[in-house]
Amino acid sequence: MNPLPAFEDELSALLPRLRRFAHGLSRSPADADDLTQMTVERALRSKAQWQPGTRLDSWLYKIMRNLWIDTMRVRGRQGKVEAPAEEAEALGHDPRAGIEAAIDLKRVMVAMDRLPGEQREVVALILIEGFGYREAAELLGLPIGTVSSRLVRGRTALLAMVASEDDD
Amino acid sequence: MIDDTKFFAWLDGELDPAEAAQVEAAVATDPRLARMAEQHRGFGKRLSEAFETVVDAPLPERLASAVKPPRSAIIDFGSRRSGRSWSPLPQWAAMAASLVLGIVVGTTLIGERGASPVEIRGGQMVAAGQLDNALEQQLASAGAARDLRIGVTFRDQAGSVCRSFTDRRSSGLACRTGNRWQVRGLFDAPQGQAGDYRMAAGADPNLAALIDATIAGDAFDAAQERAARDRGWR
Repeated sequence: MNPLPAFEDELSALLPRLRRFAHGLSRSPADADDLTQMTVERALRSKAQWQPGTRLDSWLYKIMRNLWIDTMRVRGRQGKVEAPAEEAEALGHDPRAGIEAAIDLKRVMVAMDRLPGEQREVVALILIEGFGYREAAELLGLPIGTVSSRLVRGRTALLAMVASEDDD
Repeated sequence: MIDDTKFFAWLDGELDPAEAAQVEAAVATDPRLARMAEQHRGFGKRLSEAFETVVDAPLPERLASAVKPPRSAIIDFGSRRSGRSWSPLPQWAAMAASLVLGIVVGTTLIGERGASPVEIRGGQMVAAGQLDNALEQQLASAGAARDLRIGVTFRDQAGSVCRSFTDRRSSGLACRTGNRWQVRGLFDAPQGQAGDYRMAAGADPNLAALIDATIAGDAFDAAQERAARDRGWR
């Protein structure tokens, strides 16, 4: 009988972007959708903690980032469970050589997954999600200088990985 | 000389006009910088295009249906306080209840100099005095040597750091909000247990239930607790 409340409306509208951020953080599209689903469930459970008038997107990104960190911790405890063959296949030769060629999502996710987590989250927020340095720093609870130096390292390493694949 | 941080800040449009003009001039005269700018601009574009495909793709059914409102409202401390969710009590009643709780605790948790351990700020109950100091500085490893002990430290579902605490007469949970510790719950020790120093923080079943409903992931270990303190509990 009630219309969809505003919170759920806004959450729905942000879902495609949240899902993109999850793809920036995760190693595979399936992991990314799991992370997105966990984030949505957690956001609905804790929606009373969101302060109306503040940015819902930043709040949701924060929840997702914390869930991702938890996942990484578990993964760290379990050791690297990834099948090397699968990774090699995903990084395999791409005939579209040259810096101008399009990069497909799967390849770039594999490259992102090789970045240290602290660089990956900064690259995902700023280069993919389009947050400003200051917004990203606030969201991550880091000094802006830390964010910008992690961004330099992350984007430089990522470009090197993708460019060397193009040259293969 | 343009360092990398400044160069990329320029590329990302993060510099003020004077600094941007300085980098712009350097890029115009330095082929290495010009090449870097071209490479990274192209790469940034390709990167965002690759991820844009996620935004354009239809949502999987399980995600679309995950946003549907729950059938029954979830009632917790926060929803009663905010009044945005269904609440059995008007907001003033919930506020009054918090105040009563604050006064009760104010009389049971009084510090040596008689200062109240909690105060109301902006409609929220926050830690003050000795409690605030302990939450701010004390590690769980300080253990039973103190009247006021810290139990577990963890992140809640929105990412704030929360810490449980216990003294001789009561226990509770506080979470970091801005620069303060918002008290999310306070419980009197069960009859007969008051004064038992050995009661572990979190042993109160009400506190355990509150922690369980609040925690996201695992509790911090000693190293994580110390690191979180060094980062100002952010």
